[in-house]
Amino acid sequence: MEIRELRKSFGANTVLKGIDLTVEKGDVIAILGPSGSGKTTLLRCINFLEKSDSGTMVFDDETYDLGHMHRADIAAIRKKTAFVFQNYNLFANLTALGNVTLGLTSARKMDKEKARWIGMEMLDKVGLSDRADYYPIQLSGGQQQRVAIARALATNPEIIYFDEPTSALDPELIGEVLTVMRQLAEDGMTMLVVTHELSFAENVSSRVIFMENGSIVEQGPSKEFFADPREQRTREFLKNIRTQHDA
Amino acid sequence: MSERIWNILVEGFVKIMLASIKVTIPLTVLGFSFAMIIAMFMALVQYAKVPVLRQLSRLYIWIFRGTPLLVQLYLAYFGLPKIGIVLNSFLCAVVVFSLNEGAYCAEIMRSALEAVPEGQMEAGYCVGMNYLQIMQHVVIPQALRTAFPPLSNSVIAMLKDTSLVAEITVADMFMAAQKIVGRTYEPLWLYCEVALIYLFFSTILTFVQRYFEKRLSAYNSRETEVRTQE
Repeated sequence: MEIRELRKSFGANTVLKGIDLTVEKGDVIAILGPSGSGKTTLLRCINFLEKSDSGTMVFDDETYDLGHMHRADIAAIRKKTAFVFQNYNLFANLTALGNVTLGLTSARKMDKEKARWIGMEMLDKVGLSDRADYYPIQLSGGQQQRVAIARALATNPEIIYFDEPTSALDPELIGEVLTVMRQLAEDGMTMLVVTHELSFAENVSSRVIFMENGSIVEQGPSKEFFADPREQRTREFLKNIRTQHDA
Repeated sequence: MSERIWNILVEGFVKIMLASIKVTIPLTVLGFSFAMIIAMFMALVQYAKVPVLRQLSRLYIWIFRGTPLLVQLYLAYFGLPKIGIVLNSFLCAVVVFSLNEGAYCAEIMRSALEAVPEGQMEAGYCVGMNYLQIMQHVVIPQALRTAFPPLSNSVIAMLKDTSLVAEITVADMFMAAQKIVGRTYEPLWLYCEVALIYLFFSTILTFVQRYFEKRLSAYNSRETEVRTQE
């Protein structure tokens, strides 16, 4: 997948000032940046939850004009992608299993038994097969986010977008979600992850993108990025986060 | 209590119950069923922001919520024949109650739909569903759950309001009581009796409401967790 010159503004406020981004199969890309830098908006534009003002997207060798997307194209691309939200957004009226299978039975017309089988397999993958019949409200935040990841996996997407998947979680619940994400990365899943977890960016992701004020300031392989950031601004950001973390 | 009063009350009971079976219950059931269909339609066109239909829906709700039920009944039964529309009194009652109750329930449904968080819709899109699929499987079920208590309230209110149809010559429970009062001059006993029978029916509805609320509450009550773990 490739994004070129993606622009987006809310009224007079320009949030994304021409973003270029290439994601290859198997990439795990972490997007870092201070709040308000446009990271989340970038993900939401890429999955059409927000309408971009202009830009080009290449997805599976098809080229799309982001400023004028057709509904059918959006639907087709969404069937190949998945999204994990900061606040989980599990379907409140469905059980964990129901959440995982709805995309299969409803959007993809899969038969119930087969969907159930896949659903249980996915819940097992995130370690929650014993919670299949629980409703979201009966699960902890970490468990809900793992169900959300199982839901994302069930549709066998080519790429999963994660929008600050651990930001709403209690510190002791973050680990279980990151463990699942690390496993996915090891299995070769393509992931684009907006995060504040430096350790995830450093140890799991293959590339890191640092954004500020709607532009990409620096990007590179994660080892180099953390060992020797080129930009002054990146160094400051990393230093700030690390001091907070140590304090 | 004298034997005369006792006999009047027994006669009253039989006639009022018969009237409930013939008029009050069917009127409530039919009126509320049609009201729900109207309400669902009106709420959905507003929620989905369907042009024109949305404005018509607002207009309808404005008129039927803004005018008295009794005036609506009189207008339909005594007024419409002047322009050639003659409905029998029961049909007239069903139509007016459906439209009146539909206007209130439309507002209940609309607010319940709007109370479903935006993220539910977004999550639906992200697993590849289209608008109608999300509405069917996610948004409407959640909205119905939210709307259930106020809708139960409405059906109980409507059951009692059906006593107004005696005014347009429909032989409901209240008219059955009035007729016997006219003959026996025992308003205290008979109106108490009919009030108790209304109370009996609305109590049944209250229990039905509680039963379904419990069953529907599975997904927004933590109690079930405790139960399943025990």
